[in-house]
Amino acid sequence: MAVKKDLSITYLGVRCENPFFLSSSPVGGNYDMVAKCFEAGWGGVFFKTVGIFVADECSPRFDNTGKEGLPWIGFKNMEQISDKPTEQNFEYLYRLKRDYPDKVVVASIMGSSVSEWAKLAKMCDQAGVDLIEGNFSCPQMTSHAMGSDVGSDPALVEKYTRAVVKATKIPFIAKMTPNITKMEPPARAAARGGAKGVSAINTLKSITHIDLDHLTALPVVNGKSSISGYSGAAVRPVALRFVANLCADDFLRRRGVEVSGIGGIETWRDALEFLLLGCRNLQVTTAVMQYGYRIVEDMAGGLSHWMDERGHRGLEDFIGGALANIIPAEELDRSFRILPAFHNRKCVGCGRCYVSCYDGAHQAIGWDARRRRPVLDEDKCVGCHLCLNVCPVAGCITPGAVRWKGRAKKSAPAVQEHYD
Amino acid sequence: MSTAITIPRYTVEAEKGFDHRTALEEAARCLLCHDAPCSAGCPAGTDPGRFIRSIRFRNPKGAAETIRENNVLGGSCARVCPYDRLCEEACSRCGIDRPIEIGKLQRYAVEQEKAFRMKILKAPRRKNGLRIACVGAGPASLACAAELAKAGCSVTVFEREQKAGGVLTYGITPARLPQRVVDQDIRAVEGLGVRFAFGREVASADGLLDEEGFDAVFVGAGLWKAAAAGVPGEGLKNVLYAVDFLKAARTGGGYPQMKGRAVVVIGGGDVAMDCATTARLCGAEVQIWYRRTIAEAPASAAEIRYATGLGIGITQNFAPKRFADAGGKDAGKGKVNLAEFTGRDGQSSASVRCDFVILALGQKAEAAFDPLPKRKGVFTGGDIAGSGRTVVEAVASGKAAAGKILDYCKKRKGV
Repeated sequence: MAVKKDLSITYLGVRCENPFFLSSSPVGGNYDMVAKCFEAGWGGVFFKTVGIFVADECSPRFDNTGKEGLPWIGFKNMEQISDKPTEQNFEYLYRLKRDYPDKVVVASIMGSSVSEWAKLAKMCDQAGVDLIEGNFSCPQMTSHAMGSDVGSDPALVEKYTRAVVKATKIPFIAKMTPNITKMEPPARAAARGGAKGVSAINTLKSITHIDLDHLTALPVVNGKSSISGYSGAAVRPVALRFVANLCADDFLRRRGVEVSGIGGIETWRDALEFLLLGCRNLQVTTAVMQYGYRIVEDMAGGLSHWMDERGHRGLEDFIGGALANIIPAEELDRSFRILPAFHNRKCVGCGRCYVSCYDGAHQAIGWDARRRRPVLDEDKCVGCHLCLNVCPVAGCITPGAVRWKGRAKKSAPAVQEHYD
Repeated sequence: MSTAITIPRYTVEAEKGFDHRTALEEAARCLLCHDAPCSAGCPAGTDPGRFIRSIRFRNPKGAAETIRENNVLGGSCARVCPYDRLCEEACSRCGIDRPIEIGKLQRYAVEQEKAFRMKILKAPRRKNGLRIACVGAGPASLACAAELAKAGCSVTVFEREQKAGGVLTYGITPARLPQRVVDQDIRAVEGLGVRFAFGREVASADGLLDEEGFDAVFVGAGLWKAAAAGVPGEGLKNVLYAVDFLKAARTGGGYPQMKGRAVVVIGGGDVAMDCATTARLCGAEVQIWYRRTIAEAPASAAEIRYATGLGIGITQNFAPKRFADAGGKDAGKGKVNLAEFTGRDGQSSASVRCDFVILALGQKAEAAFDPLPKRKGVFTGGDIAGSGRTVVEAVASGKAAAGKILDYCKKRKGV
C-alpha cells in the first residue's frame, strides 16, 4: 500500500485537506479548470483575480529562461487579472463552492478604489467563498492604481485592506509584492488594516531576454515588449527569504498573521521548505503551467514519505521547524574550516574541482595530470566547498577533516549530510 | 517478416542529427574537463573538448571554426569516425554513465557551418613560393593539401577519377556518409585555393619533381587494387571485388541488379561491412562470411552493429574454398551460384547458394606506387603508407606529412 499521511491543516480557521493550492493565475480561471484541479487532488484554489476592471490581454504573453538544455528555470508572464466579466467569475466561484464543499475556494480580488474593493468584498460574501485574497502585487497591470504599485505603498495596502474587512466577515489575505527591499512594512500595514493572513511572493519584475532581431524584450508584441512578472524555480530562493522574514516578524506573530508561501514550488521538497519556514498554506502556478495539475500527486506522496521516515503524524509537527536556525551572519560559528574529502575511486578525472578552485576560489587544489586526480593543499584550502558544488559525480567529494582556527572544540560541527 | 528491421532506401541517411535544442542538451551532459581526454583521443587533433564547450556556451559558429581549422575533413569524420575507440572511449563521462555523443555533436557543428554559409578557411594572402603536388584526392591527400595551402604553398591535387574524396566518394555507404557531406569538406579544401587536376593518372613521382618542377610530392594514392581470394572460381561472373562494387554503387546511385538476390560478402573489415550494408540497402539478402571470429574482426563496433541491425547475418571461422556456377564448374564465363567454405577448425565445411559474391579481403597499392618511392622530396601518407586505417587517421597522417614537407622545403630552399 502506498504511504498516505494526513496532510490536513487548518488555515485561517478553514479546514484544508492538504496545504497545496493553486495560486491566483491562468491555472485557475474558470469552473472547468478548477473542477479538474480539485479532482486531481489539490486542497484548494486561489481563483484568478477578479476585478471591476476586465483585462484586455496582449499576444503572445509568455517567455521562459533556461540554462544549458533545461528550459523553464524561470518564467515570464504578462497576463493581468481575469479577462472575464466580473459577474461570470463570481458565478463560477459560487458553483465551485456548491459542487465541492470539502475543497477550499479563495477569491482573489483587485480594486482600484476603496469603493471597488468594498464592492468586490460584498460579491465574495454573496458567492460564499471561504477566504479572500487581496492582490496588491501584480507587476503588469495597465493601471497604476492597481497591482504592485499599490503593494509597495503600505498606506494604500492598509486603506484597501480596511475597506474589505469592513465589508465582509470572510478572513482576508494580503498578497505581497517582492519588488521592494523589505516586505515587513506592507505586511504589517495589512495586519493593521485587519488582514488575517499574508501571501508571498507575487512575481518579480523582469526582463527575461532581449530579442536580437527586434531589439526589445521577450515576448515580442508587435515589435515592443514590457517589464513583467518572473516566476518559477528561479525565484524560489527569493521567495523563501521573504517568507522567512515574514514568519519571523514579531509584529505579525503577535497578531497571529498566517503566511501562505508562493514561489517556484514544483516538488514536495520545495513545498516542505516553505512549511519548515512557517507557512501554513502553499500556492503553485508556474509548475502547473508547465506540467499540469497532476504534479500534486507527487507533492502529496513525497511529503507523506518524508513524514513517514521522520515519524511525523501531521504537518503541525514540523511547520516552522527551520526558522530558529536561520540567524544573522554575525552570529555564525566561524571557528573552523572543513576540508573537502576526495574519494578517488569515484572520481572520473574531469578536473572541474581543479579548474573552479583555481579560477574561482583559493588555488588550493593541484592537478596530477598523469593520474588525472585532484591534489589538495590543506594549508591553502579555506573550506569554502566550491569543489563539492561543481563536482558532477554523486558522493565523490564530501565534507572531510575539521581544522580549528584556534583551540579545538569538543564536538565536531554539524555539516550537510545529503547532496543531490 | 521481422517488425524490428526495416530497410530504408540506399541513399536515406542512417541516423537523424541533433537540432540546436538537442545539441545543447547533449553538450550540457559534457563535464567540460580540464585538459580534455577526448581531445587527446583524436588522432587528427579535432579538439572536441573545445568545440563541445562552444556549443554549450551558445557559440555554434565557434564550434564549426574549431573543427574546420583542426580537421579539414571534419564533416566526413563526424559521420564515419570509430568514436567508440577514440574520443568517446576517452570521455570522462564514461565513469558516470555513457560518453557524450561527440560524433553527433561534431556533425551538428559542421551542419551549422553550412546553415550559416560560413567560409572558415581562406587562402593566405602571402604565398611562400612553394609548389607542392599531392597524388590522389583521398582523405590523407586532402588533409595534407589543406595544411600546405594554409602555410602559403601552391598545391595541386592529381586525381585519376572525376571527383575528389577517394574512399569518401567512392567507397563508404551514402546512408552513413552522404555525398553532400563529402562535398562540403572538399569545398573547404578548395576554399584554401587548392587546385585539382582530375582525370590525371600519375605514373610516378619523378615526373612531377623533375619535369613539372614541383618542390615536393605527397603520395596519398590509397589502396585501390583488390586482394584476390586465390581460390578456384574467382573469375566467374558476379564475383566482385569490394572496391569495384562500392564505386559502382556510389556512382550509380545503388546496385539495382542485386534487388532480391542472395549476396555473400567475404571479409571482416569496415570495407566488408560497407559492402554488406550497401547490398542490403539495395534490396539484397546478405550474409557475411569471415575467416576469423567477430571479436577478432577489424571492423568497428558501430559498423558491425549497423550491419546486424539491418538483418545481415555474420558467419565466423569460415574461409572461402571455391566458387562454382550452376553447372558446378569453377572456370569459364558462367555466373556464380555456389560459394564453398572450409572451417578454421579444419573439420567443418559449408556451402551456400548465392547470386553474387563480394570479396572484401583488403586492398593493395597499384603498380605505379608499389613499392613506394624512396626519393628525397617524396612523402607519403594514408592507406598507401599504412597509416590510413580510418579516415581520421588518414587526416592525421596527411597533416603530419605536411609538417614534414614544410620542414624539408625550409631546409632545402630556406623558405
